[in-house]
Amino acid sequence: MSQLARKIAAFCERHPTLYKSILIAENTIKRPLLRCQSCGQCVASYTAFTCPMRCPKQVRNGPCGGVRPNGHCEVYPDRYCVWWLIYERSRKLGWQKKLLKYHKPVDRRLQDTSAWINLMAGKVEGMSFRKDLDEEGR
Amino acid sequence: MDSEMISGSALERLLYAGRFVVCAEMCPPMGADKAAVLKKCDFFRSVVDAVNVTDNQAAIARMSSLMTCVFAREGGLEPILQLTCRDRNRLAQQSEVLSASAAGIRNLLCLTGDHQSCGNHPDAKGVFDLDSIQLLHMVAGMNAGRFLCGDEIKPPPRLFLGGAANPFAEPMEMRVMRLAKKIQAGARFIQTQPVFDISRFEKWMAAVRDEGLHEQAYILAGVMPVKSTRSLVYIKERVPGMRIPGEIFARMLAARDPREEGIEICVETIAQLGTLPGVKGVHIMTAMWESIIPRVVEEAGLLPRLDLPAPGQDISQTIGGASR
Repeated sequence: MSQLARKIAAFCERHPTLYKSILIAENTIKRPLLRCQSCGQCVASYTAFTCPMRCPKQVRNGPCGGVRPNGHCEVYPDRYCVWWLIYERSRKLGWQKKLLKYHKPVDRRLQDTSAWINLMAGKVEGMSFRKDLDEEGR
Repeated sequence: MDSEMISGSALERLLYAGRFVVCAEMCPPMGADKAAVLKKCDFFRSVVDAVNVTDNQAAIARMSSLMTCVFAREGGLEPILQLTCRDRNRLAQQSEVLSASAAGIRNLLCLTGDHQSCGNHPDAKGVFDLDSIQLLHMVAGMNAGRFLCGDEIKPPPRLFLGGAANPFAEPMEMRVMRLAKKIQAGARFIQTQPVFDISRFEKWMAAVRDEGLHEQAYILAGVMPVKSTRSLVYIKERVPGMRIPGEIFARMLAARDPREEGIEICVETIAQLGTLPGVKGVHIMTAMWESIIPRVVEEAGLLPRLDLPAPGQDISQTIGGASR
């Protein structure tokens, strides 16, 4: 499976028009739904499909210490903290355990590339399809 | 707790020996003035076990934390270097870590940092290349001899790593989770935001104990003496993630001398925190009111801060009355 995925990814990367079409399709879905910031290494499957890169500090491992008592952001007092939303949604889905996952530093080279193709090419960590973390997910 | 000490810093030795430690926060000056740093050192010497030197605290440009730490060492203090993610990318952070260790600084507190919009250069670009947990992970790796990219470091830095925790910000359950992540990433001591709402802190501490986290890292509770009702209002309204209960306001408003009342509240809080299981020390934050620290420490009955036991020396003989 991973061999096949790698081959598909390599094929897409060799064909710029195909790559671009996939990127546009991905953005069309993820931009309005997740307010995707195109980091190219999606962690939305861990964060209840809420993009943590929307945070002004872009923290990927949990909320900073500045969340207001009403759950709003310290930088934008009229908006919810994105991690507050992630927590609330994870709680409703029963996905709290996924929030314990450590996310590696962002590979800045992947900005504005397709996270789907990066995933198939094995450039980024896998998605999480389980409610709990598997052993290697921790 | 880990059976081995990593850095051998004076702070780590004290905590390892089971002493109730006292840390305080020192703000670098806003001018090119070494004498000002050395003068400030007098407030802390023989009064606290270690000083946190802030890194452009509240996103206001000041003398660098690293250089102030070097001066603080000259002034006879044990510095804790604060390193934020706001002003430096991973390259600059790693070079800062190497420089600090080479300069003899043995304690590092990793923070995400206040957002630049809070400070006096709101038009600046924030870096936020890593977050505080990734920073801790990176420096723990450096202690073990590897740069973030995997290259070898010879010789590696030796730093006692710490992180911050805010028991008062929402959502509560995530605060404990994030603490667990920080400890797993390599934090060995934890300093909290100042405690005004002691019942909320007790709840957080109970959750921390349930997870057994107090046995994996030394938890130092923050306290803050306040000068006036006005500064209390400022903290409540302008410092995000802080909780100040109504009774503290009432006490400050009713007091004839708010300064004295502020000190008394702080001393009482220290006494209450000292009795909580799992709290290994206090961290005094003053926001530019450093001259009051000797009085707070004295009134809290935490003096004298005895000399540090040298490595290999029998610790039990030097602790004496200061142990709690």
